[in-house]
Amino acid sequence: MAQKRRIGVYVCYCGGNISDYVNVEEVAEAVRNDPNVIVSKTHMFTCSDAAQQEIIDEIQAEKLDGLVIASCSPKLHMFTFRGMSKRADLNQYQYVHVNLREQCSWVHTNDKTGATKKGISMVRAGIAKCVLTVPLNAIRIETKPRVLVVGAGVSGMRAAISLADMGLAVFLIEREAEVGGWALQTGKMGPEAQEGTDVVAKLLARINQHENIMLHTQAEVIGKSGNIGDFNVSVRLPGDESLSLNVGAIVVTTGFEPYTPEPDEFGWNAPGVIPLKDFRQMLAETDGSLVYNGKPVRDVAFIYCVGSRQSKSESCTEPNTYCSRYCCMATTYTATLLHDLEKKTGQPVNQYHLYRDVRTYGALEPLYEKARTGGAIFLRWDPSDPPKVSTEAGQLTVKAKDHLLDGEELEIGADLVVLATGMRPRENATLNDVLKIPESKDGFYNEIHLKLRPVETMIDGVFIAGTAQGPKTLAESVASALAAVAKTGGLLMKGYVDLEPLIAKVDPDKCIWCGECLKACPYGAIEKINVGEKEIAFVIESMCKGAGPCVPVCPHDAIEIEGFRDDQIVAMIDASIKELEEK
Amino acid sequence: MPKVSSKLAAAVKCSEEFNADACMHCGTCTAVCPMGYEILPRKLFRYVQVGLEDKVKENISSIYSCLLCGMCSENCPAEVNIPENIRFLRKYINENEFNLS
Repeated sequence: MAQKRRIGVYVCYCGGNISDYVNVEEVAEAVRNDPNVIVSKTHMFTCSDAAQQEIIDEIQAEKLDGLVIASCSPKLHMFTFRGMSKRADLNQYQYVHVNLREQCSWVHTNDKTGATKKGISMVRAGIAKCVLTVPLNAIRIETKPRVLVVGAGVSGMRAAISLADMGLAVFLIEREAEVGGWALQTGKMGPEAQEGTDVVAKLLARINQHENIMLHTQAEVIGKSGNIGDFNVSVRLPGDESLSLNVGAIVVTTGFEPYTPEPDEFGWNAPGVIPLKDFRQMLAETDGSLVYNGKPVRDVAFIYCVGSRQSKSESCTEPNTYCSRYCCMATTYTATLLHDLEKKTGQPVNQYHLYRDVRTYGALEPLYEKARTGGAIFLRWDPSDPPKVSTEAGQLTVKAKDHLLDGEELEIGADLVVLATGMRPRENATLNDVLKIPESKDGFYNEIHLKLRPVETMIDGVFIAGTAQGPKTLAESVASALAAVAKTGGLLMKGYVDLEPLIAKVDPDKCIWCGECLKACPYGAIEKINVGEKEIAFVIESMCKGAGPCVPVCPHDAIEIEGFRDDQIVAMIDASIKELEEK
Repeated sequence: MPKVSSKLAAAVKCSEEFNADACMHCGTCTAVCPMGYEILPRKLFRYVQVGLEDKVKENISSIYSCLLCGMCSENCPAEVNIPENIRFLRKYINENEFNLS
């Protein structure tokens, strides 16, 4: 048995959430005589300020060196009680949380006696674990006040400017010769009719003037080492030159690739079948009527959802199941641009919009209204019976069924068929190899949590923004870029970052370096080092998340997670079956 | 298969009189029509909007037997001026089908 401890146990009523099913007084009473327990009490709400103050006073008066709180889920209040422990000068890693609500009272509402018994076992296990805790300190890492932004599209440029405004040094890297990305090819963008090229030019002017931004074009990231707050990145520059950068964080804004239809998809490759991007360019470049291949354009059919919202079939084995978000807005806005052109030239252009669902959400809904009332005809198509595009004697024909005419099939003679193509994840083999950002099933970079942590990745200090993370409109891309800026600033402006010490630990005597832990670690936190003659595993503290897949695969029990050590787990099991053994 | 005619579609678009954009295909017009039309105004107007000239011509007798009483437009929740649209169609057919001008 380990050295005797002075532990305080506090069992929470949770205002009835726990006490309605678990007899909390009985639980507190059952563990009161444990040799390591000095105080065992109950509170109506342990998280209340009054209860916290009472516990702090008792920790100090009784000189407690361990704390067990049996209340709700640690997700809710673990940090509350860690803060409380800190205020009481008790090491926060010597406090153990027991989840008596979600794991006991709420799931055993039909068996109060059983719930109480289980509650006692759980608290006993908590005490056993607490007995074996050791004081730990957070791992503090100094962060470098420099950021690498990969990809100088609108998202990357906007992020670079805001990061530089915060006083951070920014390295902005672009693979192409020109900055701006796809925004350069959009023509006028809805709804405020700004030219994409103007937007890029304005951002570039600010970047060029900013003394905190270093822009490199035709440059590519080829290597990365280090960890959060202190990365070393190597960048290849044109002419076989290379650049070595030391940065605190990386923001990845590498954007998307437009979807390229399959050879027969909606008549793709036939003359007159073009992507929306090209049509927008035609509109941007024309100074009078629209002309295609020497022929005036009188009828245009737009087909929506090309390469988006697909389902799996024989002809489409790897479907893009997602909505590409921008196409409905871009296409309905194009309709309004065509209306304007009609007014200017006095030459009507008939528009047939073959859509699946019009998703001009939020403030852009009026675009659809404007397109419709301006005379564009909208026809809905069903994925089970998509429109068919064919060419006969040089005449493009689109055949589609109109739901509003009880499914009657129409034949639309068109001069141009414009495909509203969606977004695909960008091919970035080199970068993916270097950064190892996890990808979603769609192939875009994956955030930690879609709603709550939308720009952070599993790799600490590496953030994603814009369409690299998933299809977005330009406004949404900028919003996500600025979210990444806020997270990066929050990380680097403080100058240091504190990491959890509950991480893997290698016993150098037991370890013989078989490499199993390296294979099991999803974070790349294990490396091989030499200690004297011997090769052993080494845990990179700043990269380990304490997830523990390395522990069960080790054939020599040489690796453990602090806070969940084998001796602690065994003690917990022993303690929780104490009552059973006595019978 | 009915073919879309650019001519009708363009004529409709350039006119100030014909407007059925707001139609939401609810069918109120049909329900209140004292003539009990076999072709619903909403279907007829869709033919016009899409530019199915042949389909419109098939329904000439209905278009000319409309009383222009206005029950439909009085009750239309989307405030489509149906009699005005019928007048436009009669004019278009007079000019293009019967060559009256």
